[in-house]
Amino acid sequence: MSAAYIIRRLLLMIPTFLGVTLMVFAITRFVPGGPVERALQEAQSMADGEGGEASSGGNELRAGALSKDQIQMLNEYYGFDKPVLVSYALWLKKLVVLDLGDSTRWYEPVWQTIARVLPVSTFYGLVSMLLAYLICIPLGIIKAIKHRTTLDSLSSILIFIGYAIPGFIVAVLLMSCFSFYLEWFPSGGFISDEFEDLGVFAKVIDLFYHATLPLIAYTIGSFAVMTMLMKNSLMDNLAADYVRTAMAKGFPFRTAVFRHALRNSLIPLATHFGSNISFFIGGSFLIEQIFDIDGFGLLGFESIVERDYPVVMGILAISCVLQLLGNLLSDICVASVDPRVQFE
Amino acid sequence: MFYISPRLLRRFERFRAIKRGYYSLWIILALIAVSFVAELWINNRALIVSYEGRLYFPTYTEMYPGNTFGLDYVHETDYLELQKNMRAKKEKGEKAGWVLMPLVPHGPLDTSSREEGYAPYPPSIKYQNYLGTDSTGRDVLARLIYGFRMAMVFSIVLMVFSYIIGIAVGCMMGFFGGWFDLVMQRVVEIWSNVPFLYVVMIVSSIIVPSFWMLLAIMVFFGWQGMTYYMRSQTYRERSRLYVLSAQSLGASPLRIILKHILPNSLSIIVTFIPFAIAGGISSLTALDYLGYGLPPPTPSWGELLDQGVENLDAWWVAGSVVVMLVLILTMVTFVGEAVREAFDPKKFTVYE
Repeated sequence: MSAAYIIRRLLLMIPTFLGVTLMVFAITRFVPGGPVERALQEAQSMADGEGGEASSGGNELRAGALSKDQIQMLNEYYGFDKPVLVSYALWLKKLVVLDLGDSTRWYEPVWQTIARVLPVSTFYGLVSMLLAYLICIPLGIIKAIKHRTTLDSLSSILIFIGYAIPGFIVAVLLMSCFSFYLEWFPSGGFISDEFEDLGVFAKVIDLFYHATLPLIAYTIGSFAVMTMLMKNSLMDNLAADYVRTAMAKGFPFRTAVFRHALRNSLIPLATHFGSNISFFIGGSFLIEQIFDIDGFGLLGFESIVERDYPVVMGILAISCVLQLLGNLLSDICVASVDPRVQFE
Repeated sequence: MFYISPRLLRRFERFRAIKRGYYSLWIILALIAVSFVAELWINNRALIVSYEGRLYFPTYTEMYPGNTFGLDYVHETDYLELQKNMRAKKEKGEKAGWVLMPLVPHGPLDTSSREEGYAPYPPSIKYQNYLGTDSTGRDVLARLIYGFRMAMVFSIVLMVFSYIIGIAVGCMMGFFGGWFDLVMQRVVEIWSNVPFLYVVMIVSSIIVPSFWMLLAIMVFFGWQGMTYYMRSQTYRERSRLYVLSAQSLGASPLRIILKHILPNSLSIIVTFIPFAIAGGISSLTALDYLGYGLPPPTPSWGELLDQGVENLDAWWVAGSVVVMLVLILTMVTFVGEAVREAFDPKKFTVYE
């Protein structure tokens, strides 16, 4: 793994990034019902004095409320007056100086909109990441050592459900059982209304009281994959010759596992390690929508609903960059823990 | 191409030996079969109507307007009402025909109302809404079964189309190599970095998609999954002697790929199919849940899930769809695990 390799990989990210963003940019451009139509709709409903029940095909709108010049101005304001590639180039030019433009829904810089949801997303991302590692590695080890025992089979059922059922269905299940019927947990939100008045300890309690169910839903998916990965790779290694040799030399089983087999078994986990770089935007919009958590995912979803394309593009750009960097980071991790792997 | 090799037979035997996967497959196939004739047992159209000495079989035919059976309207006959009328006449001793209704006399689209309360109505044997109704009074069981059929058909067709494209592209990349491979590798990388659900939502927020439109959108953004595996597999097979000898005999690339490489890659393809179907069901349900999937009033699990979350009081809505989803997805995954194990058995050493 040389510096030249990393630089080459970084350079290769550029065409991929351009491809992804251009594709989505072009899609948002061919869409009726963009911000201009939305402004028209608002103006018209204001003029009509009642909620304009216009269909999503904004073309049918009579431009009665606004004059041609005003529409032209709006188009210019949102950059819709230029061809796709030109406005894409303009978007890129702004992106180079890290300017994502202004949200057409909140009328503020996209960065500000995103910054608002970051604390919540960071909390969930960080905690669920930590939980995943803290549960999966020990559980995987136990399952490998106690292969085909009751403990293994019992935890396998749970893991299997987590593997087969998508997180948002688990979320619906958890919410209807534990917050609606049993009323053990609140039905959504990030903190209580009276959060500000609570003491430090009570604040933490309140936070986790709200976070328990979403965290389970978040973690359960990665939990299954990681635990099985850990278990299988440890079992592969336990069957390897070098562990048998260590045992034959008279090492106790415990030492053979923890000193020899375990270290090598962590390598497959490293292949996913890089994706943790995007932990603070990892929130699924489905889970956030169900629990009404004002995070990154929900922001992305609402921006699509409201056709707030600068935010949509901003979110896409950020997650794309992080994903690409995460892939590279994973490869670096693998290469650094496994000397046999050579990326050239 | 469909010559059954002893190896394939052995794998099938191994699959059969993994009981939970094998039985899950049968249950799923049976459910699909049953749902395909859902019109016969869960429908608001009668199976048989006997009226003035003539028999009518309305299930699969054109709709019969009400005046066919002497009712005073021309829209589709309400067979439950017709049945009630005829029974009432019989009790009075008049001559009347009879109506044989399906087991569950509700279709996925027709709404029913009751005298007491408001929809969603709870499960009731009297009204034959065995799983209750949703918030517009449509039968949950009917929507569940028709929604299952929709989800299954959708994900199978989705899987077939994305596999055809993915396998074709992957094989060509591995077979031709060179600049084609390089260019396509970039394309595939771009495609796999596009956030799938996010982009499908953007597109379907623009056009309200029909079944085929949604399918096309999802294939367009999701075909690349198989290319990696097929590319490396083809690349490996290509350097084998049998491919070289076929090539020197003058076989065309198409023939080599179809006759030689694909049959040898079958095991890879097969092991991914169940997981692709489970993924298809989840994606469709997620999209429908968010309101960006199939257009209403198509019966769909996602739409039921949405209603269930909106009305958590009506436990029978969320409850039945979540139970169905958990059961089906678990069984599909059982099948997937069994297929994978049958095709690639792993023997572990256990220290005592």
